[in-house]
Amino acid sequence: MKKKILVIEDNPMVVKSLEFKLTKEGYEVTTAIDGRSAMEELETNSFDLILTDLMLPFVSGSQLIEHIKKNYPTIPIIVLSTATQEDIITDAFNMGVDDFISKPFSPNELTLRVKRSLGASKKNIHS
Amino acid sequence: MLDHNMMLLHLTMGNLPFYISDLPVVLEINLVMTMVFVVLTILLLSLILYLRVHKNSQNHRRKKLNLFIIDFINNYLFNEDFDKEKETRNFKNRHLRTSLDKQIAIDQILVFAENLKGESSASLKEVFYGFGLKEFLLTKLTSKAWYKQAKALNVAYQLNLEIPMTLVDSLFNTNYKKLRQQAFLYYLHMSTENPLGFLDKVEIPLTLWEQIYIENGLKSYDGETPDFSKWLHHDISSVVIFCMKMIADYNQFEHIPILLRFLHHQNPELRQQAIISLRKMEEPELLPILIHNFNEETLLIKHEILKTIGKIGSEKHLKSIGKFMVTEEPSLEVEFKKVALQKNLEASHFLGANFNTIKYDNLPY
Repeated sequence: MKKKILVIEDNPMVVKSLEFKLTKEGYEVTTAIDGRSAMEELETNSFDLILTDLMLPFVSGSQLIEHIKKNYPTIPIIVLSTATQEDIITDAFNMGVDDFISKPFSPNELTLRVKRSLGASKKNIHS
Repeated sequence: MLDHNMMLLHLTMGNLPFYISDLPVVLEINLVMTMVFVVLTILLLSLILYLRVHKNSQNHRRKKLNLFIIDFINNYLFNEDFDKEKETRNFKNRHLRTSLDKQIAIDQILVFAENLKGESSASLKEVFYGFGLKEFLLTKLTSKAWYKQAKALNVAYQLNLEIPMTLVDSLFNTNYKKLRQQAFLYYLHMSTENPLGFLDKVEIPLTLWEQIYIENGLKSYDGETPDFSKWLHHDISSVVIFCMKMIADYNQFEHIPILLRFLHHQNPELRQQAIISLRKMEEPELLPILIHNFNEETLLIKHEILKTIGKIGSEKHLKSIGKFMVTEEPSLEVEFKKVALQKNLEASHFLGANFNTIKYDNLPY
């Protein structure tokens, strides 16, 4: 069965590329262009991984992460952001994200990290 | 003149239909003017409407083409079954016909370049060349509109595209500041050995903004840091000042002897920057020269000397300056007392009684 990934990103080019690349890699991809629609998607569907930007309209990435960690603590989160400041990255990890990828990103590297996060979450569930 | 205008008006009104020309003159004038303004209003509205429709159709085209291009590039980058050569040719012939189309394609490639790195960057360049956008870019670079040239240079800079340097060289001394900045940045970014080589060709003073741009460009330059002393004898003083700043910022201590010589330069701006740079590098040989020159210096430089004593000097240095202080320069007195306070000294011990006009409590810090 295909793993389901929720991509939350407001840049149409990045959304389309991630959707294309991850679908090619064999994942089922759902996209949301802001935090609010991401929350709606989470209520109606279940996901194996979340890939999110930090700068989102309506509900910020940090608020969204808090919401996910509170309500869906087992779903691994990868942050994909332009932020490179150490404090932002540290804050994200303190909130419980599993990985942080800075933009510009290498699509191949991203796929590897997605695979790794999904593998790690599987191990955690088993243990 | 007034008679002439009245005559013209009468002549014009003479050709009017009988039901207008039979009216009183005031009404006739009113009617004619109304008609003129109605026609003008219709023309203006038509123009606005045309521009609006044109803009909307451009936006519509942009939206549609953006989706096609994103789809194409995604296939090009991630689809192994994609026949790159054939599909690129087809896409170019089918979708990239006008300048607007090519501009949209460039903008979208830039968005990809901003967000993707690694192996994708090389593929994006292939797409750019495959679409024939380099020729389009070169046409823009040789265009007469400076903003088109600046945009073309920016695209070349962001995508690491090689363009003939002769086209860039001619822009180092243009009067359009934005274009000049882009030319500097492009040269700096593309250079492998001499990122500041453009300074040799600069004939117009560098503005402060240009200096900041160059400084920022250097921060992201991957190659070896240039030897800034190469331009310390440049004809343009702003270039020399910039290089002196950079010598201090990049800790090129080996150039301290040259900077020390600048303390005797006839140009006070160069002397001032030499003091600032040497102070930053905490060069002890600086102080005896400054104290010796103090009395002959400008007010600005005297301030710099006091700041230098505050940072790297001692009580002895401050004492040597005290005898040259004059009452006519209250701002200097404040600086002097600030330095004395920093060093826990009583300024009045070094100054004459007439200097005790400013109380420590009133100092601006």
